[in-house]
Amino acid sequence: MTTTQPAPTGQVVPLVEVTIDGVRTEVPKGTLVIRAAEDIGIAIPRFCDHPLLKPAGACRQCLVEVATPDREGTLRTMPKPQASCTLEVSPGMVVSTQLTSEVADKAQHGVMEFLLINHPLDCPICDKGGECPLQNQAMAHGRATTRFVDVKRTYPKPLAISTQILLDRERCILCQRCTRFSDEIAGDPFIELQMRGARQQIGTFDSGVLGFAGDAPVGAAELDDSGRPFASYFSGNTIQICPVGALTSAAYRFRARPFDLVSVPSIAEHDACGAAIRIDHRRGVVLRRLAGDDPAVNEEWISDKDRFAFRWQVAADRLVAPLVRDGEDGSGPLVETSWADALDVAATLLAQRRGSLAALPGGRGTLEDALAWSAFTRVVLGTNDVDFRSRAYGGAEEADHLAARVAGSGLDVTYADLDGADVLLAGLEPEEEAATIFLRLRKGVLAARTHVTVLGPYLTRGSAKLRATLLPAAPGTEAEVLEATDTFGASDGDRPRIVLVGERLAAAPGGLTAAAALAERTGARLAWVPRRAGDRAAVEAGLLPILLPGGRPVADESARAEVAAAWGVTPPAAPGRDLAGILDALRAGELAGVVVGGVELEDLPDPAAALAALEAVRAAGGVVVSLEVRRSAITELADVVLPVAPPAEKAGTFLTWEGRPRAFAAVFDTAALGDAAVLGLLAEEIGTPLPDASMPAWRGQRVAAARLDAPAPPEPGPGQAVLATWRLLLDAGRGQDDEPHLAGTARRAVALMAESTARGLGLQGAAEVTVRGPRGSVTLPLVLAGVVDGVVWLPFSPRERAGAAALGAQSGDIVEVTA
Amino acid sequence: MSESSERAGGQPEEKRRGLGGAIGDLLAPVAGFGVTFSNMFRPTVTEQYPYVRHPTAPRYHGRHQLNRYPDGLEKCIGCELCAWACPADAIFVEGADNTPENQHSPGERYGAVYQINYLRCIFCGLCIEACPTRALTMGNDFELAGPTREGLIFTKEELLAPLTQGMLGVPHPMVEGTTDRDYYRGEVTGPTADQIAWVERERPEDPTLEGARQAAATKAVR
Amino acid sequence: MTDTLTPVLSDIWDADRSWTLATYREHGGYRALARARELAPADLVELVKASGLRGRGGAGFPTGLKWSFLPPPDGGPRYLVVNADESEPGTCKDVPVMLANPHVLIEGVAITSAAIGCEHAFIYLRGEVVHVYRRLLAAVREAEEAGLLQGLRITVHAGAGAYICGEETALLDSLEGRRGQPRLKPPFPAVAGLYARPTVVNNVESIASVPGIVLGGAEWFTGLGTPKSAGHGLFSLSGHVRRPGQYEAPLGITLRELLELAGGIREGHRLKFWTPGGSSTPILTDAHLDIPLDYEGVAGAGSMLGTRALQIFDETVSVVRAVSRWIDFYKHESCGKCTPCREGTYWLQQVMHRLEEGRGTPEDIRTLEDVAGNILGRSFCALGDAAATPVQSGLEHFREEFEAGCHTPARDLFPYEASALATAGTASARGGREVTA
Repeated sequence: MTTTQPAPTGQVVPLVEVTIDGVRTEVPKGTLVIRAAEDIGIAIPRFCDHPLLKPAGACRQCLVEVATPDREGTLRTMPKPQASCTLEVSPGMVVSTQLTSEVADKAQHGVMEFLLINHPLDCPICDKGGECPLQNQAMAHGRATTRFVDVKRTYPKPLAISTQILLDRERCILCQRCTRFSDEIAGDPFIELQMRGARQQIGTFDSGVLGFAGDAPVGAAELDDSGRPFASYFSGNTIQICPVGALTSAAYRFRARPFDLVSVPSIAEHDACGAAIRIDHRRGVVLRRLAGDDPAVNEEWISDKDRFAFRWQVAADRLVAPLVRDGEDGSGPLVETSWADALDVAATLLAQRRGSLAALPGGRGTLEDALAWSAFTRVVLGTNDVDFRSRAYGGAEEADHLAARVAGSGLDVTYADLDGADVLLAGLEPEEEAATIFLRLRKGVLAARTHVTVLGPYLTRGSAKLRATLLPAAPGTEAEVLEATDTFGASDGDRPRIVLVGERLAAAPGGLTAAAALAERTGARLAWVPRRAGDRAAVEAGLLPILLPGGRPVADESARAEVAAAWGVTPPAAPGRDLAGILDALRAGELAGVVVGGVELEDLPDPAAALAALEAVRAAGGVVVSLEVRRSAITELADVVLPVAPPAEKAGTFLTWEGRPRAFAAVFDTAALGDAAVLGLLAEEIGTPLPDASMPAWRGQRVAAARLDAPAPPEPGPGQAVLATWRLLLDAGRGQDDEPHLAGTARRAVALMAESTARGLGLQGAAEVTVRGPRGSVTLPLVLAGVVDGVVWLPFSPRERAGAAALGAQSGDIVEVTA
Repeated sequence: MSESSERAGGQPEEKRRGLGGAIGDLLAPVAGFGVTFSNMFRPTVTEQYPYVRHPTAPRYHGRHQLNRYPDGLEKCIGCELCAWACPADAIFVEGADNTPENQHSPGERYGAVYQINYLRCIFCGLCIEACPTRALTMGNDFELAGPTREGLIFTKEELLAPLTQGMLGVPHPMVEGTTDRDYYRGEVTGPTADQIAWVERERPEDPTLEGARQAAATKAVR
Repeated sequence: MTDTLTPVLSDIWDADRSWTLATYREHGGYRALARARELAPADLVELVKASGLRGRGGAGFPTGLKWSFLPPPDGGPRYLVVNADESEPGTCKDVPVMLANPHVLIEGVAITSAAIGCEHAFIYLRGEVVHVYRRLLAAVREAEEAGLLQGLRITVHAGAGAYICGEETALLDSLEGRRGQPRLKPPFPAVAGLYARPTVVNNVESIASVPGIVLGGAEWFTGLGTPKSAGHGLFSLSGHVRRPGQYEAPLGITLRELLELAGGIREGHRLKFWTPGGSSTPILTDAHLDIPLDYEGVAGAGSMLGTRALQIFDETVSVVRAVSRWIDFYKHESCGKCTPCREGTYWLQQVMHRLEEGRGTPEDIRTLEDVAGNILGRSFCALGDAAATPVQSGLEHFREEFEAGCHTPARDLFPYEASALATAGTASARGGREVTA
């Protein structure tokens, strides 16, 4: 466990001298005795204590004997042993732990015995067996036999708290780590203590336990927006911090034993937060993922998506061999072939069309992959037609913004900066899109060090947990609202200001410009938070039509010269086409082919148009080469499909939104190759070996930041509303496939709008609404909430039913709403 | 035999002389055949395996067996303690959840996958000692040879004790009102009418049904 | 020290409709408040400090000192919370005070609020005593309507029946609407109490004693009782005494004197053991009849003055049975927060029941001793310690009765009917006496 010292901010904390087991040590004032002992290598057993949670003093396992000097300086032993997890050091304190004090040892033995009298001792069937602090402690310090011959407390077991967490109340030692985590860290008190004394137990709202006779529970914690029993996005952490086997994972239940497992530290691939994780695998199968401990990034917490969503990497549609088209003319179905054949076919097809090719590398790769893509595009394909963006997207304004302010900017705003700042979130819903940021912000907010302002159509539950101030803005009016904002935050400039812009803000024309201007006006630092693990690396690698690696502008001759020196090949001088341009050119026959990697058709701003473009280029005799982990809509269209490795099967480096490199090693040594390796082979086959593309950040003139004036906001007519939408943490994303337990805790899809909007649309009392867009309609339960007037919010792509993705409309578009 | 010569050489001088001078020297070459000659007059102990099979010692460590409770439920709870104890890493176990529709053993957990690799097993019996439910025991069967490596990895089906007369095939629910502890204490003595009815409903063709019915009826009479 | 009764709080209990404002004022009520309003808050605190008034809720912490721990006013609210959650077995002093004379408490609350700068005071009342709740509500209304409170808000809150809520921090949590479990100290309530604001938590009797001090002066108060335990207190005699009830006397009176006042042990019986301050205080025996009942005297005898709830048991009572009932109480009332109290009482109860039924083993007695030792001083709050003391003191003084529990049920050794004050179907206590006569 980590040692966290209080008061991190700036001021010097005086040191206090204490003696623990005869060892003199100096620790900062305010340090808990248990931590001071830990610092000098003395482990005091504990259950309820956790360095990231507030002290509870509930389990009493950490009792030690303490003596403090009185006014005359005479050492006086406290009459009772003290809980070292709640006691702060004081000058001259003398602590005797179980190692030197019989009193402490006896007390700890007594507590251990108490903890075990009602424990079922079903270690053989318990998932925690083998890695259980209680078991270890009992083996090390417990009695060999029991004196308890009486009746144990029993409960029916297990109790499903949610689809992913099972509770065994018999095993619970009521240390309250889980309830404290849920309350203090996640802000989702979905479990709480109930009853008292020996019948005290952890549970969700259960009318049977509580003897509750009313209709429904009261309080925000019990039900989510849709009126469904509440589940937390962070609940998996309670499993990990449970010091006994009371909380276990439904997905991992009875699957393995700790001694079966091989643990590999890694980095979560589901978002741009770069949370440290630990991957446990057995005989080539990943069985679970746990939070890693990285104080600089995720501390010890990860979201449930990072924890439970990993089977997508070995889903049934995983590509294991390259695919090519059957038949001489290449029009047949995709068939498996050898690597040599596939590379030969791909190389031939690409070499023939060199000069009129583009690349869509996606945003899920590692830095190494992104650099390989960048070099491959410039050196092998000979073009600047490359764009990593494959989601809500802001064209040239966004590209300019990324090139001017993000690429090559290094580590600027960090997680640590978020704790102790006035933060404005624009186009970013951290609980849904960047869970680690959410937890860090919440930590700062609870300690009154951070204030959060949110620009958005309504105050979400996540924002409410950040005690955020809402800057209400209908989609399309973000720029206008930001321009009208003079300042933000709760302090008068005492604290640093930070503007975090999410990738969604780019979709609102002028939004990034306005956010940058606001940052300048208020002296705030600006950081860009993408959703995908590879987006920041893609920007650094220059996977934009105007950008070369390290933030070098394509248009700058000396920048090109630097790249040429590093690569040995001069990159093309003309700026390329961006995503929209590439798709248009493909459709128009101006491009003869495209190399696509890790792009999901459904994520593109207009999936149907993209599909049409890809179909058009193939119909015109063009080529589509796809690098993918699993079969997708794009691999089905491709001429050649080259399988690439998922994160567990390759080593690499993710860049977090901060720009922090997060290197990870391969979990499995398989035959699967990463994007970089596959592109390298393909380049060699074509006859133009890939250069080593890494190079330092650009020091010269950057791309000028875009200045885009906001267009007129959308004005819905009668029967219409402006669509607001974003992705939820748990939805239909393919990264969450094959995880039924995780899916069960997703928010239920609902349509949100203000009561006034509903009234205006004639929807009073309607239980469901139908929202119609250019390509389709969805019907969802209607929930009235404090959404900006004239706006309807839909989840983008929920798993259980269709969401905004089915409309063919983007956030800010006008949609029709009927009952 | 360096050891024996060393020992002979190490004998005290007086003792060697004590054998009797010249007569001793005369008989010395013959004395070496003493063991040979004496055994010529003893009965032959060569075992004519496999034509004649002798029973092993009762506690001989032979092939493993996964036992059942009298109502047919498996004793194995898939806890992997045997695999943990195994010094040769010969045992592979995977647990799974008992559900009302698919109950293999009393309690929450059963061994869904159980494999012993007899190419690795050293028959030390530590797995037996580790087993918390006495599910795993060793029989006296030592004839463990085969033509393939795969064949010597015994699966759960091969290791499970056969259903004896009166046991009910799994899966089926536990005896109603009992816990895994009751099973462990031996308080379940055979299948009950409810269990038989459940199997009749779920698997009418189950071959163990007839025997279980008879056993239940006999017990009811008693 | 005087050996006579000193009715102060109980002075007007025999008056007609003693609980009304009119009666209270007839007997000089609210004069102290008027006088207190003339004094500066700091002087009031000094006055109470000088009086030597110590907390009447059991711990005996000097009340004035507690008030002076409040940080200097910062413009934010400060609270007074009166702990009226009287739930200790045997303790029955606050309820009669509030039932018979709620206005003395209200006046005390008003004076204390003036002293500490509180504008909103709370009385956290044990929820079961609905009649007291009604009296308090009525008294607050009367005082308010009579303009006596001058802007002070008094909220009477009825608890939901948890012993733990008598612990001051658990009381505060409960008052805030949370689960009633003790808080970590520090911060102490004086610094961050109710709603994280400076808060004084005092017992009913302590607060109700304040008007008397304001009127009579510190010297009058210190003139009563002993040097270190000044003043008067209610002594609640219950059990096998002829006239059980409240006896208000100076601290330092002995049980022998009190028993004389109460008419002695019931006829034909003799004292066997007694608790000086409710079930949480170690039991004493007839050897301790002459110890002065003040904080130091009782502590010197190895017990605690506690709430001066003197439960008197005669020789018909089985110690094992009495301790067993107390443990039942502690097990039922353990809040569950910390391990020793939660699990220890669960275990003690099962062992005590076995001993009471005569099915114990010698090992059980060792276990009992050890388990009690493992609870005492290991628990989160003092209520855990309280559960261990009856067992430990019982074993200390009457070990042979516990040992008898290894073979003979307590009922056989001490027929339960013999200790009953009234038998079933008999209205008077006479029936019980006749069994033993």
